[in-house]
Amino acid sequence: MKKIKQWAAMGLATAMAVSLSACGGGKSTSETAASTAAETTSAAASEATTEATTSGEPVELKFSWWGGDSRHAATEEAIKAFEAKYPNIKVTPEYGAWTGWEEKQSLNILGGNAADVMQINWNWIESYSQGGTAFANLEDYSDVLDLKQFTPESLDLCKVDNKLMAVPISLTGRVFYWNKTAFEEVGCDIPTDLDSLYAAGAAFKAKDPDMYPLALGEYDRMILMVYYLESKYGKNWVEGGEVNYTEDEVKDGMDFITELETKHVIPTLATIQGDMADSLDKNAKWIDGKYAGIFEWDSSASKFMAALEGSVNKPGQKFVVGEFVKMGDNNGGFTKISMAYAVAGNSKHPKEAAMLINFLLNDEEGVKIVSTERGIPCSTEGLKILEANKLGDPLTIEANTKVMNYSKFNLDSKFEHNDLKANPDGVYYKVFGKLSTGEIDSKQAASELIKGITETLES
Amino acid sequence: MKSKGIRKVLADNAGFFFILPWLIGFILFKVYPFASSLYYSFTNYDLFNGISKTGMMNYNKIFTDSDIKKAFFVTFKYAIFDVPLKLMFALFIAYILNFKLKGVNFFRTAYYVPSILGGSIAIAILWRAVFNTDGLINAVLGVFGVEKINWMASGGGALTVIVLLRVWQFGSAMVIFLAALKGVSEDLYEAASIDGAGKWTQFFKITVPLITPVIFYNLITQLCQAFQEFNGPFLVTKGGPNGATTLISILIYNNAFLRHKMGMASAQAWILFLIVMTFTVVAFVSQKKWVYYSDEDGR
Repeated sequence: MKKIKQWAAMGLATAMAVSLSACGGGKSTSETAASTAAETTSAAASEATTEATTSGEPVELKFSWWGGDSRHAATEEAIKAFEAKYPNIKVTPEYGAWTGWEEKQSLNILGGNAADVMQINWNWIESYSQGGTAFANLEDYSDVLDLKQFTPESLDLCKVDNKLMAVPISLTGRVFYWNKTAFEEVGCDIPTDLDSLYAAGAAFKAKDPDMYPLALGEYDRMILMVYYLESKYGKNWVEGGEVNYTEDEVKDGMDFITELETKHVIPTLATIQGDMADSLDKNAKWIDGKYAGIFEWDSSASKFMAALEGSVNKPGQKFVVGEFVKMGDNNGGFTKISMAYAVAGNSKHPKEAAMLINFLLNDEEGVKIVSTERGIPCSTEGLKILEANKLGDPLTIEANTKVMNYSKFNLDSKFEHNDLKANPDGVYYKVFGKLSTGEIDSKQAASELIKGITETLES
Repeated sequence: MKSKGIRKVLADNAGFFFILPWLIGFILFKVYPFASSLYYSFTNYDLFNGISKTGMMNYNKIFTDSDIKKAFFVTFKYAIFDVPLKLMFALFIAYILNFKLKGVNFFRTAYYVPSILGGSIAIAILWRAVFNTDGLINAVLGVFGVEKINWMASGGGALTVIVLLRVWQFGSAMVIFLAALKGVSEDLYEAASIDGAGKWTQFFKITVPLITPVIFYNLITQLCQAFQEFNGPFLVTKGGPNGATTLISILIYNNAFLRHKMGMASAQAWILFLIVMTFTVVAFVSQKKWVYYSDEDGR
């Protein structure tokens, strides 16, 4: 009897172990719209007419995106304007921060619960289009979505099985940004080539060992290493589905990253992790000028600037866009589609969804409201409207102009694959983490990186 | 005649019908996922691409990939430090709170509060504020002239940070210990003190043996929870530095929900389950030697 009791208890304990959930209940990040419509929008509403492009029947659309507060506010305002223009269409927004967004949206796409209009990352086209069925073919709606405003090359990058899965919103690339005040305080010039970058490392160390001219996380290191290799060797990172660099060349890149650490240009990863900040823009050392530079997407820099300008301990710091640091005979770096709009393959109202996209990208009213919240528009018409009205964040415009004129290398669509860039078990995180702690040397790091990328490219 | 038969069947199986709703839920939401995950663990099941291969490839990878093996080892290390520390701390505080002290109810509540907070974002922010290089701990150490510690500079330091987070949330184990301590008869302590036993002797010779069933219960539940820990490393250290706090639950999460590789995630979950199961079995088998059930022939 006692044995039976014990085994029964053990069975219950097992069931309990199975039942215990490791994760706490998640909270939905989606929120329903809070009204912040502009006065101009409500004025337009009174004059609104239902255009011939819709049947006039009531239509409900869901529109999902991620971003920061300013993007949320601008997009909600644009939705109000769209609803005013097309009173029969009601748009329900669903938005949140990036953290956890991809996990949620990918499962929504898979489960057929995706929003009608989605802001997507470029690599989602390859990862989640399910052979061209998960998203609607937007060429079918070219009567309401003006595709002539986009270059054929940019549209080709959004095609799967010859179907247009999305339209690009903006192009982006990595640019150097500096805290000019910190450089002035240290008394050294803003770097323009490798020598001045190393000189800055020495100068910052002499001023304060906790100060660094540049701060890079694992993924930033990968992008900077590719920039270095492209500058030096003049080749695309991946060509024909294979890593286009030899192990010795990649080892050279790894040595470069290690040298940045040893010459006090960048802090070790342990130092950055010791700051225990959620991200670099939220790191107190960035905010207070101890880390004085970043290598960041031009479309993401505004949050770094806002953090710096909001510093309580060190007010009045100046955030500037730098020149590209020359690292070889070639202009390194790549540009990519930063994000795109797609319509769910099972949307009941794909035409109206395409109209919303057109409104946001090509319509004067929509473009003016959204401005450069998602970067500098790819749409020719959108860009013309911004330029004619002198709209948009000057910093974003300056940085985007620089990167578009400078960086000409191609980016492989799997560069941002989750097998590579996921934290903490993506290949980039593992390789650069081990390299920084000295667990592996540059040769092993090069070999491990190439092996990991090759596996991903072949998968 | 027929309706009489139905009534008899209903009456004879009333108990079964009462538990039927639970049973359906159990089969649908526990047994089925449990069995299907076992099947998926032998496939390359990808949510977006389905199954194209079956075999032992996931298990082969788990046993050969050094990073996955490291994650299991880190999980093991985490549980080994976390469980005894938490149990000892919970028992120690419960023992103190069992004395007739002034304001004891306030302290009982105060010590329980961290358990309610759980592994939330707010706690992650608090923990980062306490343990970052310019944080509270280093500020206090600085007063005594101790140099700043970068807790994330070494794997041991980072693991300590997340172990302490869970040890700090000892409230639920403490409450259970407190209830057990209240069940120990005062007569035994009285008799022991007449025989000249001090407080330590009383604690180790009377209190601990009598509450071993509760220690055993807490051991099993804490063990299960420790091996499945996710929130602490995910929110506070993000698995860093260099994988030092990458517990297996983080790999399972990333494989399942970020990469949608349910085959690999299932295989890792099954290995984790077998490890927890092994520890549970060992605990149950070993209880003959150290758990005292007073209602069963002195055992």
